[in-house]
Amino acid sequence: MRQPSLIARRVAAASVSLVVAAGAAACGPKDNDAKGSSGGDATPHKGGTLTILNSNPQQDFDPARLYTSGGGKVPSLVFRTLTTRNRENGAAGAKVVPDLATDTGRPDKDATVWTYTLKEGLKYEDGSPITSADIKYGIERSFAPELSGGAPYLRDWLVGGADYQGPYKDKGGLDSIETPDARTIVFHLNKPEGEFPFLATQTQFAPVPKAKDTGTKYEQHPISSGPYKVVKNENDGERLTLERNTYWSASTDAERKAYPDKIDVRSGLDSSVINQRLSASQGADAAAVTTDTNLGPAELAKVTGDKNLAARVGTGHFGYTNYIAFNPNVKPFDDIRVRQAISYAIDRSSVVNAAGGSSLAEAATTFLPNQKSFGYTPYDLFPAGKTGDPAKAKELLAQAGFKNGLTVTLTHSNSKDFETSPEIATAIQDALKKAGITVKLQGLEENDYSDKIHNAKTEPGFFLAHWGADWPSGGPFLAPIFDGRQIVKDGANFNTGFLNDKSVNDEIDAINKLTDLDQAAKRWGALDKKIGEQALTVPLFHPVYKRLYGKDVRNIVISDWDGVLDPSQVAVK
Amino acid sequence: MTGFVGFALRRALGMVITLFAISVIVYVVFYVTPGNVAQITCGPRCSPAQVHQVAEQLHLDDPLYVRYWHFLQGLFAGQDYSTGTAVQHCSAPCLGLSYQSDQQVTQLILAKLPVSLSLVFGAMVVWLVLGVGTGVLSAWRRGRLSERLLTGITLAGVATPVFVIGLVLLIVVCGELELLPFPQYVALTDDPEQWAWNLLLPWLSLALIEAAAFARLTRASMLETLAEDHIRTFRAYGVGERSIIGRHALRGAFAPVIALNANNFGGAVGGAVLTETLFGLPGIGQELVHAVNVVDLPVVVGMVLVIGFFVVVANAVADVLYAVADRRVVLT
Repeated sequence: MRQPSLIARRVAAASVSLVVAAGAAACGPKDNDAKGSSGGDATPHKGGTLTILNSNPQQDFDPARLYTSGGGKVPSLVFRTLTTRNRENGAAGAKVVPDLATDTGRPDKDATVWTYTLKEGLKYEDGSPITSADIKYGIERSFAPELSGGAPYLRDWLVGGADYQGPYKDKGGLDSIETPDARTIVFHLNKPEGEFPFLATQTQFAPVPKAKDTGTKYEQHPISSGPYKVVKNENDGERLTLERNTYWSASTDAERKAYPDKIDVRSGLDSSVINQRLSASQGADAAAVTTDTNLGPAELAKVTGDKNLAARVGTGHFGYTNYIAFNPNVKPFDDIRVRQAISYAIDRSSVVNAAGGSSLAEAATTFLPNQKSFGYTPYDLFPAGKTGDPAKAKELLAQAGFKNGLTVTLTHSNSKDFETSPEIATAIQDALKKAGITVKLQGLEENDYSDKIHNAKTEPGFFLAHWGADWPSGGPFLAPIFDGRQIVKDGANFNTGFLNDKSVNDEIDAINKLTDLDQAAKRWGALDKKIGEQALTVPLFHPVYKRLYGKDVRNIVISDWDGVLDPSQVAVK
Repeated sequence: MTGFVGFALRRALGMVITLFAISVIVYVVFYVTPGNVAQITCGPRCSPAQVHQVAEQLHLDDPLYVRYWHFLQGLFAGQDYSTGTAVQHCSAPCLGLSYQSDQQVTQLILAKLPVSLSLVFGAMVVWLVLGVGTGVLSAWRRGRLSERLLTGITLAGVATPVFVIGLVLLIVVCGELELLPFPQYVALTDDPEQWAWNLLLPWLSLALIEAAAFARLTRASMLETLAEDHIRTFRAYGVGERSIIGRHALRGAFAPVIALNANNFGGAVGGAVLTETLFGLPGIGQELVHAVNVVDLPVVVGMVLVIGFFVVVANAVADVLYAVADRRVVLT
């Protein structure tokens, strides 16, 4: 970007070439250099600078504070964890694989004790060795209230985790994590958890050397265990500059390719500007990607119409479901027939259109995402067809005593996410009208919306919601929403249907004991169908991510784990 | 000069009172605003026990007056805070720490302010030149086609939102014509030339909108002056049109232009959110919007105080300039 003379020349020439250039611009892409457009086909080489253009800053760049799925995109360049996500396209990318550890973990027979051995020759950015004690310390500090932000599982699963307040207040440490030697670490859980290897992908499982810990300041320069180290972190992750960690060795890391020499993360950008820059692909932007900005419906239409641009769009699926939620404690949603009637009346094709069309959303009739790793078992318990079945809905309403229709309020957020936003609410309002249900819309500011729907005392009866997986499995998808023991009366509650069914709870416990993840997946799928019968939710759609990347970017890998382009795999040369 | 010193003192006192009032209002408003700060800071999935620990850590359970008292203490005496591994000092005037990032708010302001000032100062030059110039021209050429055209353009300027002008500029100038690279902020101290090149489009987009108001104001005040008796007398005496416009009519437009400029300048320091967001300028406005969204009270108070400071100072400067421009005005 630092080309003053070029800019000056261009401005001088502007007046002359304005008409010509405008004409050329109208004829489509000016660039006939298609070598980058082929993406994965071109041979990747080491070197160059990868630019990441994001709207949200990479805040709290501290492994204790990050809430990631599978270690995150940018964080995973700096923090290695005991296990990690498989860096492969599609469904293969939803598998968990070893990272710092030699395997994905060795459970005892009831999956309450998990043992890991570190690979040999692991080093930090300063050349000092990575030890199991550092991993223990990294996990312990994530319990400190000063470093809050991570996922709740460690606290719920580790013996003594519920009361532990981190190493700053409690010097004793967590007894449930043992480090018998520098390469071995053993975790003691308070209940069987067959999915512990998935949890070990999160950044809390990254090593932190105690001597280098600077508490809340650690995020400014966290000590790298990955292929890149933080050279500069400006304004809490607004701009991150990463350079090679020369002590990282590819021979100990089968997952990260680390082709670029340098990574420049710039954020605070408007999403339309990000997409504009990626499509223009000028200068440094030719080697740019985004890890947080999707193409919107209008942008996608423009991009699809241009062959060269369309070749630079990555498509990804993340385990995520947008749905309608009912609170059965609020009338008339206490009557299952009313909930079923609404399920029948839903016009999924208009909802999908409101979400940006079929290339950005796939109609959903199951709560679990439509991916094998989740145990996806197709079912459609209240068949509404593509456009809804108002006759069936009316019939059920009449049975429930609402012969002359009924009036309900649908609560949604006022965000612009095409998920819980007004567009979706309006599509539902239109569909339900055909079934004689008058829907009043209640749009709330985002914080207010989130507070209301996650508070047992204020939860509305009928609202839009969404849920994404912490890892690609049925466990973190179903348990927080439908496990009766996870109902929280005085805090953030996610079991919004207040389901407390002993057979469901028991099945969750039984599946958690399984360490054969394929076996577990099948049973999550079956459980999903069983819960679906209660009609506590109406699944609407699963989103599809479409993201542009610059013309010099190659080796595109998009896994079903997170559905977005993986910066650890891309090359810019 | 005693008159001026008295004026300055009164103004300074008024400013302090205003800023205190602002800080109290922000504290009260945020106290009743939806959004559970501890839950947001801790994360959506935090358990009640964990949220309680975070609330304790951030002193969120203290009553409003206690929290405000801590704020005042920090402001005048500084405060010590723990990073977990060490105790650090935030020296007075300490505006506290961000709930979200644990950064000192004063440092955050120091990082963001140069960006906002760079944007607003540059844009101000453009909007004054463009706005006053257009205003003078259209007053001078009243009733002719050129005047109609200029009025039309300025009206379009007022009516077009900044994100439209900015986005069109970005798409055309940077995307299609490739005359300029997409702007990314470069500090003035790092490279003045790059600083100016990268701010050119943001200056233009912000200024095009503001300029319209100045053009209309200048035109109206000039026409008002031109309709007055003394101008007719000048004309009768044979004073040239150029001199009438330049020396007399324009002078009449100075006062309102100065007042408007002061208002707009002060407001734009924290209010150019759309321009900052569109061009990725990490300024005060963007930070303030983010802080409001995550209910980060110390950052909001700090940012609002800075913005308030600039509005008040800009108004005081306007009053002085007003007096210079129009000798009939007495500084009180």
